[in-house]
Amino acid sequence: MGAGTPPLPGPPKPQAKALNCPKCGAAVVLRSFGQAETVVCASCHCILDAKDPNLAILQQFEAITRDIKPLIPLGTRGRLRGTDYEVIGFQRRSTKVDGITYYWHEYVLFNPYKGIRYLSEYNGHWNDISICKQLPMDQGGAANYLGESYKHFQTCDAGTDFVLGEFPWQVRVGERAAVTDYVHPPRILSSEKLDKEVTWSIGEYMYGREVWECFKLPGSPPEPMGVFANQPSPVTINVSGIWAAFAAFAVFLLVLMAGFDMRAKKEPVLQETYQYNRTDAKSEASFVTDVFELGGGTSTVEVKTSSPVDNHWIYLNYALINQDTGQAWDFGREVSYYHGYDSDGSWSEGKRTDTVVIPSVPQGHYYLRIEPEADPSLPAIPYSVSVTRDVPVFGIYGIAFAALLLPALVISWRAYTFERSRWSESDHPPMELSSISTSSGDDE
Amino acid sequence: MFRKFYMLYGFLVLGTAAFGQYRGWSLDTVNQLKNVPKSVRDNPGSYRSVYSGYHHYTGGK
Amino acid sequence: MTQPTANCPNCGAKIVFRWSSSVQTVCEYCKSILVRTDVDLKKVGQVADLPPDSSPIQINAEGKYGNKSFVVVGRILYEYDQGGWNEWHVMMNDGTSAWLSDAQSEYALSLATKTPNLPAASQVHVGEQFIWNYQRYTVSVITPAHYRGVEGELPFQYWDKTAVTFVDLRAESRKFATLDYSDPEPALYLGEFVEFDDLKLRNLRSFEGW
Repeated sequence: MGAGTPPLPGPPKPQAKALNCPKCGAAVVLRSFGQAETVVCASCHCILDAKDPNLAILQQFEAITRDIKPLIPLGTRGRLRGTDYEVIGFQRRSTKVDGITYYWHEYVLFNPYKGIRYLSEYNGHWNDISICKQLPMDQGGAANYLGESYKHFQTCDAGTDFVLGEFPWQVRVGERAAVTDYVHPPRILSSEKLDKEVTWSIGEYMYGREVWECFKLPGSPPEPMGVFANQPSPVTINVSGIWAAFAAFAVFLLVLMAGFDMRAKKEPVLQETYQYNRTDAKSEASFVTDVFELGGGTSTVEVKTSSPVDNHWIYLNYALINQDTGQAWDFGREVSYYHGYDSDGSWSEGKRTDTVVIPSVPQGHYYLRIEPEADPSLPAIPYSVSVTRDVPVFGIYGIAFAALLLPALVISWRAYTFERSRWSESDHPPMELSSISTSSGDDE
Repeated sequence: MFRKFYMLYGFLVLGTAAFGQYRGWSLDTVNQLKNVPKSVRDNPGSYRSVYSGYHHYTGGK
Repeated sequence: MTQPTANCPNCGAKIVFRWSSSVQTVCEYCKSILVRTDVDLKKVGQVADLPPDSSPIQINAEGKYGNKSFVVVGRILYEYDQGGWNEWHVMMNDGTSAWLSDAQSEYALSLATKTPNLPAASQVHVGEQFIWNYQRYTVSVITPAHYRGVEGELPFQYWDKTAVTFVDLRAESRKFATLDYSDPEPALYLGEFVEFDDLKLRNLRSFEGW
């Protein structure tokens, strides 16, 4: 009964285990401290029992392609979500749809404290995946997980073609599982059914450059092709926001319109009727009006010409001249009106009135110089000229409206085409899309 | 993020529209001339228009 | 809280009980299972070497649950057809004992709850519902398991169990319950799943290369 007992050595620190493949003798290293179920001998492609100290052979497979190299080499460590993970396993899986085989890759990530995560890669699109701790609610065309609704994207029959490294389950090359994906970008919910067991996993989209940063990989990641199932849309989030902003702007525009309309003084400054005579015009057609005052600051000036033309035209050369400064605005306006009756019924063309708005006319004393011309067959016709200052120009609001509408339309269009691209790869492709996409009502 | 750009852009558009209304902008194109002599009031025929080739005027130089 | 000490009746090593209500402990030196009687310690069995396992938790690890802190004082190791899991016995800083289960990096903390009228193992089926503490629990998995080993201090006598049945029940959010049929009288544990980070564990096992 000694009082002083020597201190015990602590429990042995778990270490990576180096063993030899029973088939070919190559070195096999177990880095997951007992969490792996199976491990693959890289030399002879034997799947071995990782829990067996003798590494019993479970399956030997033929690699269909020579040396499929994982993009992230086994043993690489990277920091994901604040935790360091080591790549311990890799597999290539495939599915055949409409005669075309699609491949994707999965990486098994390990941390002794946090456990296992997965990284999947397809055509340059990456996903950070973990097994669901809570069971999602399967609703057929949709699934619900942690309060979010996921839409059914695709069901396929996935086969395992090639494996490397360690796996926390009994992996076998050639085994097939029914995989169903549901999406709620940027997340993807997948159910995998192998024999009778169903496993649910939740993934979040990652960009290739993020993966390259996490694992400090050299070079650049593969370019993503197309739009992936749960790839976040760069535009969709903004669409409703943009339209809400547009609606607000449109209302603001209406308020502006009403406001300026009320503010506009619309002062008539000249209202006269003249007579055009062809005979007079031969000598000297031009004349000047009385001087009138444009008061109240710089503003628009509207010149309205009207004449009871009937299958004729008249043309007025106008000049609005500032008596004091000599500044002039020169313009010509046509008033013509034609009508008739033919096999389609009655028709008409033109108007008996013409309006033009002269911009930014400073205040001062003005007169109009008018030189009329008319259809040679017209001997005489009266015409009236009325000048009004400070009128609102509604065309500007039209342009503003179009300018506000354009970005919203462009954004909506881009979001729409992005989503079409996304769903064209699914079991529910958008209509009128036949070419390369997967099933369009196929048996799946 | 794009929303902020659109808001800025929208205010710019509205601001420009309001400014245009205030300053009397118009959509019609009108040519301006300077230094029209006061003698045009007495002799309208002597006015030289920008549309020199278009109309014909009779009368003095 | 006094820490009674005694000597191992088998090899004489010093045995310290961190928890005054511990009923059983394992001598670290000779791996004898010792049960505390009023008077002294009695050897009741021997623990075979525990299989190497990957749990990052070890005896004397510390952590937090809610506003209480705890120390890991013992464990029971179970095995079933798909692997194994640990039930770590933890001592909370208010003297109560709780269980931290660790299965494939999924962690849960539960407390023994005295409840009358618990169903017998044969009466329980997947999908059945029970109400305890005003919570509805649904049976999710029934696992036949067997005891693989013990370590450290336990609040009851537990060794050399052959087949034991565990019934897992789930409730809304992270709550769960376990019916433990190790003893003739069923025992109920109510608890919830916890995230590794929330436990703020310290003094964890260190792994080579990590």
